[in-house]
Amino acid sequence: MEFIIFALAAAVSVAAAIMMVLNRNAMYSALFLVLTFFCFAVFYVLLGAYFLAVVQVAVYAGAIMVLMLFVLMLLNVSHPEAADRRLAFLRPFAVIAGLILVVELAVAVSRGSAPAVAASPSTTSGSALATATVSRPVATPTPVYEPAGEATVGHTQLLASVLFTRYLFPFEVTSILLLGAILGAAVLARKRPELT
Amino acid sequence: MPEDLSTLIAPLLAPLISPVPTEWYLVLSAILFAIGSLGVLLRKNALTIFMSVELMLNAVNLSFVAFSRQFGQFDGQIFVFFVMAVAAAEVAIGLAIIVDIFRSRNSVDIDDVSWLKG
Repeated sequence: MEFIIFALAAAVSVAAAIMMVLNRNAMYSALFLVLTFFCFAVFYVLLGAYFLAVVQVAVYAGAIMVLMLFVLMLLNVSHPEAADRRLAFLRPFAVIAGLILVVELAVAVSRGSAPAVAASPSTTSGSALATATVSRPVATPTPVYEPAGEATVGHTQLLASVLFTRYLFPFEVTSILLLGAILGAAVLARKRPELT
Repeated sequence: MPEDLSTLIAPLLAPLISPVPTEWYLVLSAILFAIGSLGVLLRKNALTIFMSVELMLNAVNLSFVAFSRQFGQFDGQIFVFFVMAVAAAEVAIGLAIIVDIFRSRNSVDIDDVSWLKG
């Protein structure tokens, strides 16, 4: 069952991604990208990352793509790209560079061998404790992520406990980054009569 | 008789029932990343290029989550959160820049943006 869902979602996501790249109408590209994002949410559910699946739909397919569609409609540039381009001679080089990347990825994926699955919680928590001993309550061991199935009730809670203890500083830095993005967007979108 | 049938069919159905291996997710992630990079290289519309970058970010997120399951650790999922936050910031700034370029050039074609050319 899981395999069938994975195969279906993989086929749909790859097809939608290809359509997104090939489509000349930016509006259709955006809608195909939304479809791809929904497929990613399916993968996250299959991998047991339920909260990430919700965030994927809410933030990516929701907020980010709505913003993208809003700008698309605001600028009204959904008409197809013109065929003749001054820099059209660069296109074969772009295709070659892309194919080189594809070959590199294929070699990397085919030659790499995944290490054994972390079997016991003791080994994983031990290695995690050895690498990162930031201000964490000593009593709580590293929460072990249960892959899909049993014992998923506290999954989001465990995720939050890691995020707000071990990764608290990056979390705060992220909030500063978002604040900077808000200010930057407001400054950039402002009318500047002196420049034009 | 049903036992015989099940023992006969079980090996055939085994890959269908067992969880999808991590390698498959990595292959899928690589495929989607390559498609995204081809989009960045081939398209001329700045907004489509932007969407291709988002696809590449998501492909990397998928491999993060797959490794998170592989190693039984949460760190991969935490990184996905940070990638999403950075992507949100990137979209806000990038779209503001595109709107600004559109105001002055009346186009979002990247070939029209050549101010830095000497």
